[in-house]
Amino acid sequence: MSAATQNVYLPKPAVLEQVLPEIPEVKTYYWHFEDLEEQQAFHKFRPGQFAQISLFGVGEFPASLPSSPGEDETFFTIRKVGSCTSALDELRPGQKFAVRGPYGNGFPMEDYYGHDLVFVAGGIGMIPLRSCIVYALQHRKHYDRIQIFYGAKTPQELMYMPNLREWEKSAGVECYLTVDRPDANWKGHVGVVGSLFTQPGVSVAVDNSTAFVCGPPVMFRFVIRDLLAMGYEERNIVSTLERYMKCGVGKCGHCCIGMAYVCVDGPVFTYEQIKKLGEEI
Amino acid sequence: MKARVLAKTDVLAIVDLLRKQGYEVLAPFCGRGRDTYFDTVTDANRDRIQLHLPNPYYPPKRFVFPHIERLMKAERSNGDLRIEPTYEAPKRAIFGIRSCDVAGIYHLDRFFLGREFSDIYYEKRRRNLLLVNLVCTDPERDIGKECFCMCADTGPAARDHFDLQLMDLGDEFMAVAGTPSGEALLANSAFRKGTEEHVAKRRQILEHLRTHFESTMTSWFSAAVRCVSQGKVTEKTWEEIGQRCLECGGCTYVCPACTCFTVTDRQVSAGEVERVRVWDSCALGGFTRMAGGFNPRRAVHDRRNRRFFRKLSHYFIQRELSMACVGCGRCAAVCHGDIGMPTVVEMIRRATAQAEAR
Amino acid sequence: MAHQLTTCTYCGVGCGLYLETTDNQVIGAYPSVSHPTNQGRICVRGWHVHEIASSPERLKKPLLRKKGELQEVSWDEAFAFVATRLKQLREHYGPDSIAFLNSPRCSNEDAYLLQKFARAVIGTNNVDQGSSVFCNNSIDVLLEMTGVPAASTSVADLGESDVIVVDGVDLARRLPTIGGAVIRAKLRGARLIVIGTRRHRVAESADLFLQIRPGTEVTLYGAMAKVILDRGLANLAFIKTRCRNYEDFLRLVREYDLLQAAEVCGVSAEMIERAAVTYASARAACVLYSTSMEARSRETIRAVVNLVLLTGKLGRPGAGILALNEQNNLQGVCDLGMLPDRLPGYQPVTDSAARARLEALWKAELPAAPGLRAASLLTNGHNRTVKALWMCHYDPASAAGVEEARGLFEDFKLVVSQQLFITDAARYADVVLPTTAYGEEQVSFTSTERRIQLAQKVVEPVSGLMPVWQQLTRVASLLGANWNYASAAEVMDEIGQAVPFYSGASYENLAREYGRQWPCTKDQPLGTRYLFADSNGSKFNFAPVAKPPRVSTAAEYPFQLFFGSSLYYWTQDVLVRHSETLKREYRILWLDYPDGFVEINSEDAKGLGLRDGQKITLRTTAGSAEATARVTSEVRSGTVFVPYFLREVEKKILPGIGDRSQLVPVRVEKVAA
Repeated sequence: MSAATQNVYLPKPAVLEQVLPEIPEVKTYYWHFEDLEEQQAFHKFRPGQFAQISLFGVGEFPASLPSSPGEDETFFTIRKVGSCTSALDELRPGQKFAVRGPYGNGFPMEDYYGHDLVFVAGGIGMIPLRSCIVYALQHRKHYDRIQIFYGAKTPQELMYMPNLREWEKSAGVECYLTVDRPDANWKGHVGVVGSLFTQPGVSVAVDNSTAFVCGPPVMFRFVIRDLLAMGYEERNIVSTLERYMKCGVGKCGHCCIGMAYVCVDGPVFTYEQIKKLGEEI
Repeated sequence: MKARVLAKTDVLAIVDLLRKQGYEVLAPFCGRGRDTYFDTVTDANRDRIQLHLPNPYYPPKRFVFPHIERLMKAERSNGDLRIEPTYEAPKRAIFGIRSCDVAGIYHLDRFFLGREFSDIYYEKRRRNLLLVNLVCTDPERDIGKECFCMCADTGPAARDHFDLQLMDLGDEFMAVAGTPSGEALLANSAFRKGTEEHVAKRRQILEHLRTHFESTMTSWFSAAVRCVSQGKVTEKTWEEIGQRCLECGGCTYVCPACTCFTVTDRQVSAGEVERVRVWDSCALGGFTRMAGGFNPRRAVHDRRNRRFFRKLSHYFIQRELSMACVGCGRCAAVCHGDIGMPTVVEMIRRATAQAEAR
Repeated sequence: MAHQLTTCTYCGVGCGLYLETTDNQVIGAYPSVSHPTNQGRICVRGWHVHEIASSPERLKKPLLRKKGELQEVSWDEAFAFVATRLKQLREHYGPDSIAFLNSPRCSNEDAYLLQKFARAVIGTNNVDQGSSVFCNNSIDVLLEMTGVPAASTSVADLGESDVIVVDGVDLARRLPTIGGAVIRAKLRGARLIVIGTRRHRVAESADLFLQIRPGTEVTLYGAMAKVILDRGLANLAFIKTRCRNYEDFLRLVREYDLLQAAEVCGVSAEMIERAAVTYASARAACVLYSTSMEARSRETIRAVVNLVLLTGKLGRPGAGILALNEQNNLQGVCDLGMLPDRLPGYQPVTDSAARARLEALWKAELPAAPGLRAASLLTNGHNRTVKALWMCHYDPASAAGVEEARGLFEDFKLVVSQQLFITDAARYADVVLPTTAYGEEQVSFTSTERRIQLAQKVVEPVSGLMPVWQQLTRVASLLGANWNYASAAEVMDEIGQAVPFYSGASYENLAREYGRQWPCTKDQPLGTRYLFADSNGSKFNFAPVAKPPRVSTAAEYPFQLFFGSSLYYWTQDVLVRHSETLKREYRILWLDYPDGFVEINSEDAKGLGLRDGQKITLRTTAGSAEATARVTSEVRSGTVFVPYFLREVEKKILPGIGDRSQLVPVRVEKVAA
C-alpha cells in the first residue's frame, strides 16, 4: 500500500468547448479540463487509449480518444446510444462534465516502426483509428506505406471526411472509401469494406506490415478472414475491443473476457490474443 | 510465530480490550434458528457473542467492500461542478472471522490493492481493519455440510493473513499472532505462554477434524482447475449448469472472493448527486450488456462458464497469486439450482470421467 | 449496525431475509437460512431490496394540485382537502361515486383499513385490488371447489412431492425461489411435468414438457382425466368420502378423447398419457399454477382442480395445489376484502348475515350492492359514475387491462394517490400522499402459501412520513369515524375479529417464528402447513367442464395471438425502476427493443424470412398493428405473444374482438424495410 494512493474513480471537471456534428447521430465534442495541470498530464495519452466520461446524475461511460497526443485539441467523437451519451449531447458549450483517464494499453506505435500500416475501418470504427492515423502521419518517417480502407453504410455516414481528404494528399498515403448504399452523388466504390482489397489498382500491404481493424462485429469477422487469406499473420492484425465497463481500471469486472480485463489489458489486442479470449467478438 | 494460551473464560477479554482501544468490534451472533451474523459489539450484546456457530452467511467482506458504498458527491451550482470524494474507514476489528473468510479478505487485498491501480476506498477500510481469526474446531456447530476449506487449502486453521488467531483447545484457547498488531494484543495479562503440550493438542485436534468434512466431492478440486484452465469442460456441461441457474446473483454476493460491482448515480437533491457502487454479479443478464444492443454473454451458460473460469483457471490464480474460491461453501447453500462450487466440481468430474471412458 | 429478520416484499413467495442497518440506513440484505420457505435463498430482487429502502429519490412531503401544479403542502392541509372533497362528492353524487384501488402489494393492515374506509366510512363497495383479472378466477373457482381460495400446501413441502406439475408459469422469471424449490426437488428424484405454451428455464429440467397450444389446457386436463379413469387410477375412496358432483363430472369426461386432444393441444398422445399416469401414480403430487397467468379462464382452473380431486392428491405433505400469487400480498388484500363483491374473509357482500357481523364490529351500516371492478371503473367511458378515485400504491402502468395514465384521470373530480415515488399516475393526481417504505414500518403480508408474516421496521422514516393505515385513520377521523388505531398490531387485532382464519395471527404470535400460515386461529395458533388434512373435513366439489368445441383456424390467420398479463410484470414495477441493478436486469430487453416487442417462434420466423428485431404487421379480422418482432424459441410455434405493456397493439387489435383474455387468430407479415 503506497502512502498516497490516487483515487482512480474520481473524475475531474471538464469544460465543453464546442460540438460539431460528424455524421447522423454522431458528434464530435471538443473539451478541456478545468485544471490546466490536469490537462497537461492527460495529454500524454497514447493512440488507442480511452477515457471515462461522467455526466453526474446519469452515469459514466468509456469513450475512445480519436484525437492524437500530437494535436492541440482534445475531443471525443460519440454516437448517441444511451442515457449517458444523450446527457452529454444536451450539454451546451461552456457547461461542465467530468473526465478521468487516459486508460488502457493503447497501440504500441513504436513496435510498428519500419512497418507498412493498413487501416481498415467500418462505420464508427474509425474513431479509435483516427488517433493512430494522425499519430502515424506526425511520425511519418518511422512508417512506410499508409493505407486506409474505410467503409460505411451510406456516404453520409463516412466520418472525418475533411481529415480523410487531407490525409489522402500526403505522400505515401492511400485512401480507399466504400459505402453499402450509395446516393445519387456517390461516385466511389460500392460494397463492403473487404471488397476494396480486390479492386483493380489496389495492392494491400501484407509483408512487414500491421493491419488495424475496427468496426462492427460482422465487418470485423469478414475483414479478418480476408486478411488471413492474404497471408497476414494473426499477431500483425490489431484491433480495439469495446465492452460494457464501469470503472476502467480493472476492478468492476464488467469487461473481463476470457483471460483479460479489456480496460487494463486492452482495449488494444492482436487478433492472436482476441482468438484466445475465447468469447464472441 | 508466538503462541500463547488463555483461559476459555478470558476469550471475550480480547473483545473488551479491542473496544477499549477504540475499535468497533464485529462479532458473530445468533439470529433466528440457524441464522447467524456479524454485528457490532455493544455493552448490551457483548455477553451474547457466540464463538461456535455456523459461519455467518452474509460474508464479512462487506466490511471492506460494502454491499452499497458511496464513492463521491457532485454538486452543481451556478454552472460550476464540484466533485468531492467521500471516504468512510472506521477503525474495526472482526472478532471470530473464520479461516476461509480470512483467505477471502486476502484475495480481495490481492485484487483491489495489487497491479497497477489500487482501490483507495478498499485501502482505507482495509488499513483500519484488524482480523481476529477463530479456527473452526466444533464439528457440530462450526463446520457446515457445504464447507470445503480442506480442498481449497484455506482452513480449518488459516496459516497466515490474520492479525491474531484463536483456537479452542477445550478448556483453553491457543492464540497465535500473525502481525505486529496481533502480537501487541498478546502483551495482555490474560495470555500465558504455551507449552509443547498445547502445540501437540492443537495438531491432534486439527488431525481429527479432517474426518468431519462431508463435502468429499470437492476432492477433485485441482483436477477441475486443470480441466477449466485447459478448456476441457464441454459446452454440454456448461449448458447443464446454466439450465439450473436462476440468475439471482446470490453466489457472487455471498462469495468472500467475488469483487464485481456496478456504479450508479443517485439524485440527492436538486443540485446534488451521489455516486455509489453496489455489488454486481456476472450471473445477471445485464452484467455485460452494452449500450447499443450487443451482449457478448447472452446465454446463461456462458455467464456461468465465466464465473467458474474466473475462479478456477490457472491464469487468474497466477494473476492474483490467490484463488478466488476459498472453500466456504456459501455458494452451495445459496443456490436455487444447486450449482454451487462443490456441485460444479463434481459435474466436471463426472463429465470428464465419461469422456475418458469413451 | 443491527440485523433484523423481516420479509421480502417483492413477490408472493414471501422469502425471509435480514436487513442490515446502520445510522438509520439500510445498508444490506441477505436471506435467512432457517426460513422454511426460502431456506437461505432469495432472488435478485431480494438481494437489491436495500437499494429501494435507501433511495434518496423518495417523495417526502404531501403534494396538492394548486393552479394546475403539484405543490408541497402540510399534512394537515392535505388531509383536510381530501376529507372535504370526499364529503362534497359523496353528498353530491352519492357514495358509489367514490372508488378505491390498491396494489396487490399493499400490507394487510393497509388493505383492511382501505376497504373498511370505503365500506364503513364512505359507504361503497367500489374497492378492488388492481392487478390482473385472472386472480379472481382462481379465487372463485377454488372457493367453489375446495372452499378455500388459496394454495393448499407449502413451498417447503415441494421437497416431499414425488411428482410436480408446473402449469404455465415461468417460475424462474417470476417466482425464482419456488422455481429453485422445484428444480431441487427434481434433482432429489421427483418427476417434473411442465405444461404450457412457453419454454422456460424450469421447463429445461422437465421429465415431460407438454408445450401445448395456447388455450388448450381444458382439453389437455380433460384427456388426462379420461386416461386416469380408463386406467383405473382414480382415487375412488377419496372421491366417495370427500367429493360431490362426481357423476356429473364423469359424464362430461367421457366426451374427451386422447387422440383428438393430442391433435388439439399439439402434443403427442403418448406424452399426455404419460403425464396422466405419472401424476395419478404419484405418492404425493403437487400442481403449481399462477393465479395471474395470462388467459387463464375459470374452466382451465376447474379442469386442473378436477384432476386433483380425481386422484385425491390433497391433504398430505407434498400433495396439493400451489395456486401462486405473483405479487407479494395478493393473497392478503383478497383475504381482507379488497374485492368489490366480497367482504373480508370472502363472504359475499350480498350476504346479509355476513354484513351484520361486520356492521356490529365496525359500528356502521354496510352497502349491499357489489361495487365496480378496477378495469371497468377506470374504463367505463365518459358516462362514468365514478367521480373520485383513491389509489393506494396503485400504478396503472403495472396493471394489465388498463390504459396508460394520461387521459385516464381527466374525468375524475378527485384523484388521490398514495405513493413512494412520483409515478405516471401520481403525476395526474390532485393529491399525492407519500408513504413510509419497506423497512420504515411494521406491517404484515400474506404470502402465496398463506403465510402471514411481519415486515419489520428497521429504520425511522423521513420525518412526517407515515404508513398508509395511519393516513387512512387520519382522514377517517376527519370524516367523523371513530378510528383509534395506535399501531398496525392493533389493526391486526381487529382483523382477527373480522376474519376467522386470521383470529390467531396477533403480532406477538407472528413474530415468534416465521409468521403463521392461515388458518391461524386461537385453537390453532401455530397455523396450518397444508390444508384438508382432516379426512373427515369439508367436502370438495367436482366442477364438470364440457369439452370445448373445436376451434377451426382460418387459413388466412394461421397464428394465435395472446395478450400477456404478467410475464413481464416486474419490468414496469415502480420499485424495480428505482434500483440500478434491477432496472438493468428487468429492462434489458428494452435495450434491444426500445419500442417494445411481440414474441414469435424462431422456426416460424425462419419460415417467414423474419429476423430478430424486424418490424412486422399483425393482421386480424378486426384490424392491424405494427410491432417489433422478438424472435425466440421461448414461445411455441404458431403463437404470437403480446406483452401487456404494448398498449398500441392492444388498442388497434382488440376493439371488435373482445377482451384481452381471448386468443386472437392473426396473420404475421414482414414490413418491407
